[in-house]
Amino acid sequence: MQARMWTRGLIGVGAAAAFAVQAPALAQETIKIGVPTALSGTYADLGNQAKRAVEFAVNEVNAKGGIGGRKLEVKVLDTEAKPDVARKQAEKLALEGYKILTGTIASGEGLAMAPMLERWDALYVVTINKADALTGANCVPRVFRVNHPDEQDAAIVRPWLGTRKETKWAIVAADIAWGRNSGKSFAAAAKANGKELVGEFYPAFGTNDFAPYIQQVKNSGAQGVWIALAGRDAINFATQAKQFGLLDSTFVAGVSFVTDNTVKTLGDTSKGIWGIINYSSTLDTPANKRFVEAWKKAYNGDEPTNFEGETYIGMQVIIQAIERAKSAKPLDVARAMSGGTFDTLYGKSQIRAADHQMVQPNYFGYVGAQGGKLRPIITTTFAADQATPPPSGECKMPKL
Amino acid sequence: MLLQTLNGLVYGGLLYILAVGLVLIFGLRRVVNFAHGSLFMVGAYVGYAIATHFGNFWLGLVVSVVVLAVLGVFLDAVVFRPLQREDPIVTVLVTFGILLVLEDAVRTIWGKDFLSLKPPAALAGTVQILGESFPTYRLFVIALAAAVAIGLSLWLRMSRIGLFVRASSVDRTTTAILGVNTDRVSVLVVAAAGVSGRVSAPVLALSPCMGRLILIDSFIVVVVGGLGSFSGAFFAALIIGQLHNFGVVYLPWAATMIPFLLMVGILIWRPSGFAGQHV
Repeated sequence: MQARMWTRGLIGVGAAAAFAVQAPALAQETIKIGVPTALSGTYADLGNQAKRAVEFAVNEVNAKGGIGGRKLEVKVLDTEAKPDVARKQAEKLALEGYKILTGTIASGEGLAMAPMLERWDALYVVTINKADALTGANCVPRVFRVNHPDEQDAAIVRPWLGTRKETKWAIVAADIAWGRNSGKSFAAAAKANGKELVGEFYPAFGTNDFAPYIQQVKNSGAQGVWIALAGRDAINFATQAKQFGLLDSTFVAGVSFVTDNTVKTLGDTSKGIWGIINYSSTLDTPANKRFVEAWKKAYNGDEPTNFEGETYIGMQVIIQAIERAKSAKPLDVARAMSGGTFDTLYGKSQIRAADHQMVQPNYFGYVGAQGGKLRPIITTTFAADQATPPPSGECKMPKL
Repeated sequence: MLLQTLNGLVYGGLLYILAVGLVLIFGLRRVVNFAHGSLFMVGAYVGYAIATHFGNFWLGLVVSVVVLAVLGVFLDAVVFRPLQREDPIVTVLVTFGILLVLEDAVRTIWGKDFLSLKPPAALAGTVQILGESFPTYRLFVIALAAAVAIGLSLWLRMSRIGLFVRASSVDRTTTAILGVNTDRVSVLVVAAAGVSGRVSAPVLALSPCMGRLILIDSFIVVVVGGLGSFSGAFFAALIIGQLHNFGVVYLPWAATMIPFLLMVGILIWRPSGFAGQHV
């Protein structure tokens, strides 16, 4: 009896409390941003960067009073960079009302989340996944990508190679789908530019000793080397190539090589390596200069990394789309994004309606000292129309 | 050609220093030590921390050997010695657990980023061999592996503990009945893992999983050479180092498969490895 009274009492108090909270909440409910990202495992460092970028953007908006008087709120959950965990955590976020998702690291995670978005009534803005399929064969109406997919990186290799004086080239690429693809598109670009390919090497993923490959590149007489290695492979290759003198005697360029993380790990060794740069804090646009200054103030003089810049661009698009839609409902926001043009760190950038890929410029540059610090420095800018191939046709985008 | 042979010697040398520790602990305690890879990794990280803090490569080498030796005493007392009476599957599980714990500990202390370390200034340059430049540091690795091989075989043949180790790896029960105490050897085992980790640091990127990635190759060395055989491990490491290199040059599509094929062949032809005397 007593227990029942207690229960009743509790329910009463609970209902009253809920009512009391609900009234003001209706007036200005927060806009909830969910970040399912890697906080542990191999990609934890990248996940932390995505988190910092989202939090930075949210604080910036909230300091100005939010969007239409509504404050932004973030929740981050750990995906361990595993597709199945990412799907589970994204679902949890969506069920708790964090239906606008962004900041996920691995392409596999994005591909696992994409088909579920409709059921969750959620939306996913890709800022780091590079797999072409997300805006190609596996495209869905609720996925939008603001970063560069692999095919955009491939598209600028051909015009860039035409500007190089080296005639003999070798390729060293990881023996996985991504590396093979990159090798293939480089070979095509070399042919188109009348360059001679003197060696193609595909070391196994996770190779410890690159010496036999480095030796063969040296023997091939290559004047330039194209590298498509990532993570530990990239570090091992660069360290060993430096010791063999290859980095000093040969022109070395690559994809996924000139990033802030690689520079941080390799230090001096990375100096003079060329490559594709998707975003750099040295980007010369007024919007980026403002962003970098504010970022440095917020994070003790740190400059934003490429992943931080790209995730911030994702937040810029989300915020502007909510403003335009005058709603934070995922479907309304998605309709505002599709085909819309947004102010980003790159300038004005459009999200194509056909495949939901943002059309943005892409860059080439090298690792060098600027302002007393080693960093990726942009030398060549490829305008958005040149850097973005037309929609592949593999994406049959249903109507939103 | 000569340069590729030298490259094979470098990788074989690294594998040898690592495999020696596996052979010693198996000969002595009959423990298949999966944690060995993580000790290699801890050696690399400790050496890295000291070298970057004090700016002295050699101090890093010395300190990592000392730290790993202490860790060796500890592991032997609480893990390897109690485990020698257990079922082999228990030792595999426990040592694999240690590997996971050490990897996570390193991840907590040094973070998830890859790290890299430069060779000491004296060894940073290149040497001209047949008109081509070859990194001095790699010659140092070859020299060090040779020194370990010579030192170890002298120690095993000349010293009293060496005699005990050899006796123990041939017939453990009889050796124990005779009252031989071989406890000090475990220090050497773990210190050897530390040395190889530290020495490989300027060649390989430091990451918590680096030990795991090289452990497989060194297990192949141990199996091909014969479990518990020191000379077997030496020759197996040399052969696998060369196969690794020339495989890449002449049979690139099969390069990663060749060491495994060799191991399968050896296991069919001589299950105890080419220098092992007992199964």
